Amino acid sequence: MDRLAASASEARGPWREAWSVFKRNYAALVGLCILALVLTTAIAGPWLYPVDPFDIVGAPKTPPGADADALLGTDYLGRDLLAGIVRGGRPTLMVGFFAAMIATVIGITMGALGGYYGGKVDALLGRITEFFQVLPALLFAMVLVMLFSPSLVTVTFAIGFVAWTSMARLTRAEFLRIKQLEYVRAARAIGSSNSRIIWGVMLPNALPPIIVAATLATGTAILFEAGLSFLGLSDPNVMSWGMMIGSNRNYLREMWWAVTFPGVCIFLTVLAISLVGDGLNDAFNPRLRTR
Amino acid sequence: MTRIFARLALVTAALLLAHPSVAQKSGGTLVWGTNQTARHLNPAVQSGYATAMVGAQIFASPLRFDDKWNAQPYLAESWSFQDDGKSLLLKLVPNATFHDGKPITSEDVAFSIMAIKANHPFSSMLGAVERVDTPSPNVAVIRLSQPHPAILLALSPALCPIMPKHVFGDGADLKTHARNSSPVGSGPYKLAEFKPGEHIILEKHAGFFIKERPKFDRIIVRIFRDSNALAVAIERKEIQFAPFWTDLALLDRLSKTPGIAATDKGGEAIGPINWLAFNTKKKPLDDARVRQAISFAIDREFITRKLHSGRSRIATGPIAPGTPFYSAAVEPYKVDLDKANRLLDQAGLKKGPGGMRAALSVDFLPGSSEQQKNVAEYLKPQLKKIGIDVTVRNSPDFPTWAKRVSSQDFDMTMDAVFNWGDPVIGVHRTYLTSNIRPGVIWSNTQSYSNPKIDDLLAKAAVERDPAKRKAEYNEFQKIVVSDAPIAYINVLPYFHVYEKSLRNLPMTIWGAVSPIDEMYRD
Amino acid sequence: MRIALFIARRIAYAIGLLLAVAILNFTLIHLAPGDVVETIVGEMGGASTETIASLRKTYGLDRSFIEQLFIYISRVASGDLGVSTYFNRPVLGLVADRMFATVLLVFTALATAVVLGTFLGVTAARRPSSWLGALVTIVALFGFSAPVFWSGLMLLLLFASVWPILPASGMYDIASGATGFAYALDVAHHLILPAGTLAIIYLALYSRLARASMIEVLGSDYVRTARAKGLSENKVVFKHALRNAVLPVVTIAGLQFSGMLAGAVLVETVFTWPGMGLLAFEAILRRDTQLILGILLLSALLVIVGNLLTDLAYRLIDPRIRTDG
Repeated sequence: MDRLAASASEARGPWREAWSVFKRNYAALVGLCILALVLTTAIAGPWLYPVDPFDIVGAPKTPPGADADALLGTDYLGRDLLAGIVRGGRPTLMVGFFAAMIATVIGITMGALGGYYGGKVDALLGRITEFFQVLPALLFAMVLVMLFSPSLVTVTFAIGFVAWTSMARLTRAEFLRIKQLEYVRAARAIGSSNSRIIWGVMLPNALPPIIVAATLATGTAILFEAGLSFLGLSDPNVMSWGMMIGSNRNYLREMWWAVTFPGVCIFLTVLAISLVGDGLNDAFNPRLRTR
Repeated sequence: MTRIFARLALVTAALLLAHPSVAQKSGGTLVWGTNQTARHLNPAVQSGYATAMVGAQIFASPLRFDDKWNAQPYLAESWSFQDDGKSLLLKLVPNATFHDGKPITSEDVAFSIMAIKANHPFSSMLGAVERVDTPSPNVAVIRLSQPHPAILLALSPALCPIMPKHVFGDGADLKTHARNSSPVGSGPYKLAEFKPGEHIILEKHAGFFIKERPKFDRIIVRIFRDSNALAVAIERKEIQFAPFWTDLALLDRLSKTPGIAATDKGGEAIGPINWLAFNTKKKPLDDARVRQAISFAIDREFITRKLHSGRSRIATGPIAPGTPFYSAAVEPYKVDLDKANRLLDQAGLKKGPGGMRAALSVDFLPGSSEQQKNVAEYLKPQLKKIGIDVTVRNSPDFPTWAKRVSSQDFDMTMDAVFNWGDPVIGVHRTYLTSNIRPGVIWSNTQSYSNPKIDDLLAKAAVERDPAKRKAEYNEFQKIVVSDAPIAYINVLPYFHVYEKSLRNLPMTIWGAVSPIDEMYRD
Repeated sequence: MRIALFIARRIAYAIGLLLAVAILNFTLIHLAPGDVVETIVGEMGGASTETIASLRKTYGLDRSFIEQLFIYISRVASGDLGVSTYFNRPVLGLVADRMFATVLLVFTALATAVVLGTFLGVTAARRPSSWLGALVTIVALFGFSAPVFWSGLMLLLLFASVWPILPASGMYDIASGATGFAYALDVAHHLILPAGTLAIIYLALYSRLARASMIEVLGSDYVRTARAKGLSENKVVFKHALRNAVLPVVTIAGLQFSGMLAGAVLVETVFTWPGMGLLAFEAILRRDTQLILGILLLSALLVIVGNLLTDLAYRLIDPRIRTDG
């Protein structure tokens, strides 16, 4: 038992070490700052700038700077673009976050069970993973969204369902590696239950790369949502950045601002997420590199 | 890069050599651009301009029309009503041939008319036709069960393609006939290549029965997914003619391009109306006052001036302005929020907490965002002002929308419905009680029922005196507009975008859904 | 011999996988509200109840779901993917027509990205602090973070409108009627923008991957040995290190095939490139059931073949790999 506790505390060690590496990584810190700004806006924005993004506040297609009521200009209906930018962050981040969560949960479950039990379980779960990998992700997500009609929830689930396979492969690989380590053998030797070993002992040690992957998956999911919106598969009652690009894309040439600003927001958010993800990766890696 | 420029220069030079501008009025290729994809090319079994505009080049019809609603000879060199309007005699031109060289006879006319009656979605169009007699190879007599003044318009190119009986009369179901995609026709152009979703190549029919027509040797119809890409192709002069242009945002830019012009003249008979339909069986929309209130809350000036950049016209009723039976003597529904609020109060829809009275959803036809989606989205903030909380429902594809609307699973929906020349063809279907047919889209999906309207429409359908017929339709418009099963918004703007060197643009009431046999490049 | 057995096993397995894909897709599409007859009736401009019923019968939609599924699977098994209701043509021919365009687009983008990305990555790895290293980072960040359709729209605006040197859409100029070499040039000219857009994302991936892998390989023992033997630096890099550094690039290139198709849908939509992606988008918008099913199945097949080729390529580059799981 002592040994188990010791290894657990040892396993907590990398977190502190990782942070010390992370905070020396300027790119990652910049990413973290952008992300903090985006999150703050998403949470506090509606109070700071209380304009309904659906209200028509001026003439349609007003360029930025021309109207004090709509600093970033208006869209094709005359709705305030700034209000859309301020409100659009929350649904966009939520789709990204929850879709990545769904993908991560499914991926971890599939990968962990396959990696831990091996044999027939692994073969079966491997087949299922491969099955989903073979499906063309975007087309399949389009069919799913079409099936249940576009809303934030359907889009989130559709993305989650097509995005979990790489997470499963990653988790499985980690579990295969960790399974050989001494403290897992020790846990098994003292008769810990399978579920305690999987979720209590192995998963915490497999987490660092999974966290990195989940972070990056959030960015991918945001891009995915934007892609679906671009193809017209978004909820017109929720002002998300993707929806703004999708519905303004036909007016790209007359109003560059209506596509450019939400595009820049998506770009910066995904950029920030990638930078943080990379930073985490570098931070975890020196410790975990075993090759 | 220099290579590309050199190549472009070569191509340009070749094009210039191919079309010398020396007063030559025929020959050359017309490249025609569209964002409509035709499923097949036979207008006998389906409506819609995607098929009709190409179909009208491939198939000739008994009659065609000028720009003042007068019938003109086409395959029929003369025609006359007989038998108190219950027979229509058509005398065919003697020298007409199909693209395969076989002569066009009254047998083909009889076959085509009966096949269209059996297969075309507009059942009222030829509903009165009992049979077509063929006393001689160039005389056909259409026998009617009752007078049917709409029949002349029903013999137009977009609605009545004359098909070769020896090709289409093989007994196979015409709606799914294999030759609908590789038709043999009777019109000015024959089909050379059809790549669905990509392009259609038409070649001049050398044996066309009108001398020295058509003018172009070849028409290439290029199909674009996206009007942005089509606009760029027009700017680059890759496309010389784009009929049925609906994207108003791009139109402003296009009409500023040197050498390019746009006009909304021609095609008045299509009469496309953009409207908001109500489910009149659903509470609270079963109360006419609620529907009127919503109609009073819509600022049509804003929609046509601002959302459609001043390029669409307000629609006031079920019949399109500029057509013979249009009446302006109806309730105009000028935007009036106070009146709308009063009407809602009278209807018993009191404001609840948060100032809201009711929650309603609005659907829209997927595809045309400017006319449908944008107007639906506009309703959300606008109807909030009178206490109606609107949820916009996005249909990812057409069947989803059609299923919802045709099975009455909707509160309000944007829709666009065409008049198609005569009210009997395209207007009656929306209002007749007998046409409330669950599962059938573009029937009376509003479930609107008014015995007085049924009576008026039945009379107008058979009325041979134009003045009396007009009076009946005036009365019909007045009642329907005040009952408000539908809030009429605007006439869909259809523009021809064209290169200025083109002459004789299709300016008739059927516009580009009629043969383009006189157009040439100067 | 071993390779032959390996391929045979993989093919048998792939068939089972495809069958499962077919069943799932069919079931899902039949759950959606409305059906293709609604689209046809819509295109027709409405229809009577009888016509609708007769059309449903024509398309076999009046049968029970199980019956329809059974008919569909046995049809697919005999190589018949059905007829597209919208285009009124056999699905197989339609997709085969478009498949070439997509494969051309995807492979051009993939090849550009792999070659250019490896070059950039390797060069950056050799001189980690040069401007090239910074460029790789910037390209990678942009490629990862900008929505692909957005960069496509921006490029379209730039090169087809502001500075019009490239065609905006389509695959070739029909009006020119060019054949042979002139046609190929024409297609290449049209290919630049869409392939370039698609390549950006993958350029990002491969340049980073190649850099990371090269840095690792350059630090390994055998490279140190090679250097110690006095081999020239170029020889060390290009003969010894590159081969190993390319391994992960090839693996990922294969795995990315499915993702590539997703990118292709968006890019083809932006540039009206007449490929499978655009066809799929149109099929979905029109509920062209047979066509949607056919495309989903054939793109699954493409992915499977892509994965198989990756495995083979991997084995050729690295003979140590054996045929286990």
